[in-house]
Amino acid sequence: MKKILQLALGVITSVGGFLEIGSVTTAAQAGAQFGYQLLWAILLGTLCLIFLIEMSGRLSAVSKHTIVDAMRERFGFPFFFIVLVGMVIIAFMVLVAELGGIGFGLQILTGVAFPWWAIPVSFVVWLLMWKGSFSLIENGASLLGLVTISFIVSAFKLHPDWSGVASGLVPSIPETDKARHGFLAVSILGASISPYLMYFYSSGAIEDKWDRSYIPINRFIAGFGMTFGGVLSMGVLVVAALALQPKGIQVETFPQAALLMTTALPRWGFYLFAASMIVACFGAALEISLAIAYFFAQGFGWNWSEDLEPSKNSRFAFVYTIIILLAAIPLLLGVDPIKVTMMSMALTSATLPLAIVPFLFLMNDPIYLGKYRNGWISNSVVAVIILISFVLALISIPLQIMGG
Amino acid sequence: MNLVRDVLDKKLIDREDCCMGRVSGLVMHVSESAPPSVTHILVGGPTLWMRVHPFLGRLSKRLATIWGPKRNEPVKIPWSRVETVGRDVKLDVKGKDTGALDWEIWVAQHIIERIPGGGSEEEE
Amino acid sequence: MKRSFALPLLFVLACKPPTPAEQMDAVVSWVSTAGMAGDAWLRHTTPDNYTRQALQLSNQQLLEIGTELRKSPPPAIDGATLDSVLTRSRFHIAQMARLVEEKNAPDFKTQLDSLRTDQRLVKQLSDSVESTQ
Repeated sequence: MKKILQLALGVITSVGGFLEIGSVTTAAQAGAQFGYQLLWAILLGTLCLIFLIEMSGRLSAVSKHTIVDAMRERFGFPFFFIVLVGMVIIAFMVLVAELGGIGFGLQILTGVAFPWWAIPVSFVVWLLMWKGSFSLIENGASLLGLVTISFIVSAFKLHPDWSGVASGLVPSIPETDKARHGFLAVSILGASISPYLMYFYSSGAIEDKWDRSYIPINRFIAGFGMTFGGVLSMGVLVVAALALQPKGIQVETFPQAALLMTTALPRWGFYLFAASMIVACFGAALEISLAIAYFFAQGFGWNWSEDLEPSKNSRFAFVYTIIILLAAIPLLLGVDPIKVTMMSMALTSATLPLAIVPFLFLMNDPIYLGKYRNGWISNSVVAVIILISFVLALISIPLQIMGG
Repeated sequence: MNLVRDVLDKKLIDREDCCMGRVSGLVMHVSESAPPSVTHILVGGPTLWMRVHPFLGRLSKRLATIWGPKRNEPVKIPWSRVETVGRDVKLDVKGKDTGALDWEIWVAQHIIERIPGGGSEEEE
Repeated sequence: MKRSFALPLLFVLACKPPTPAEQMDAVVSWVSTAGMAGDAWLRHTTPDNYTRQALQLSNQQLLEIGTELRKSPPPAIDGATLDSVLTRSRFHIAQMARLVEEKNAPDFKTQLDSLRTDQRLVKQLSDSVESTQ
């Protein structure tokens, strides 16, 4: 029974992956511009993540080591350092965007512009990490994250053409705006398949003290959690397709996205959107800050746990404190979080092979996994993901130029 | 034992099951009369950065003497203290006594404990 | 290594100029945004602050795009007609933003109805530009 409550880890991971500002913005843009045609990108991202997250959990449960531990140990420090630099740069950009997302949510509710919220928001995120435990963050963010179900409710209330939705799940190339279509597909995949989700989930499994007995439930959590996030993201796309596309509204700015649910849910739609964005971006900000701190701590062999008092894992606490402090600065200067998130998604796509290729080796290592190594199905799926990631890496930058 | 695969970069766990860093490097004794043997485990920044680029190694060594706990020498743990080598390297030492946790303690005392709610690094 | 050149290139070329069709799409988008925000306010679904900011943002965007369009008008449509409808739309949107502050719903509705007429004309103009691409 207790194990089923671990579902929260899956939910918070997927909220941070699928409903943070980047995913919501691209899903809304995709729906507003191309109707249902890009649902397949969200589906593909979801399927890839289910496998990657399941493997991340399995590695930790069996070896009692996280992905980052194993990466440092198997590939050595120089390689780890390269991945560290890449990961920190991108994760930092995403963190800036998420803090900005919370600020945007508060801006549309209060009228006070988002740069003014940079410091209070960063402070609250930091305080939760400073004083809170891992299970408080995990369960709190997951419970509050349920407000995002309003996207699904809105989608149903707008009575979509379900056969149209189904055909959107199959990849297609549009007649016009091919570059833009490609750019959004790459962005959606870059927004969903974020390596920091794997590092977070793997660390979370250690924080929650998983062992081999968690392997079956891990499959369920990864499957359910990622599907939850993926379906919600599809909900955003469908709502945008029905509420915004007929009016020709392109979602370039957050205030435009705020109109998403005002047709379907006249009384509460606007406020539910604001609440959803604030909660989802909060969860994502916590997740990313932790992921960055975990990366440093695990890679360098420091003490780490969200459950420990900060002074008992001082370097770990120092990293997340500094990173949150630094992330507030671009927002104070008025840097647009949406532009930051679009860039981070293109960069994630471009550097995906760096995270996934070593992971394939780790998942086949008998020292870490013993008899729980990948079977041929999992290996084939990872191989396909690697292929997709190389293709994304090659085309993401030119597409950003042409279609962004 | 394959030193690079089995020892290098592994986590070091002390007598009290505390994490005390990772193996940054190894010191080997090479002589004409006997096969090479490992004498010490090296822990810490300069050794680590040397593996990325010699310039970074030198820079790290300079910074280590002027900043933080101010060490002139890398942390060396005798190989004789190694109990087991598995997924982690288990040592028969107390982490704090080796110097491997100097940075952790320094950051705790000079930064973390000065922030309200940071707690105390020292056990009561 | 190649990627290290791609990033500066990305920054330089990301500011590629939009095509006339894209500019007209943006005009339709912003006029519609103002219309949808106006509708939502009349139905009491959005707060005053947000509505005013959304209207001001739409106005600002239309000003910028209008300036660009004046420099190089899209082919197949009359530049003077486009300029006139943009100016009228911006006037209505500015009035709407003022009326939100005064909480004057009846006059707001009048302005919104006028904006709707402009919205239809803008859509027609945009369709003409699309069909020539």
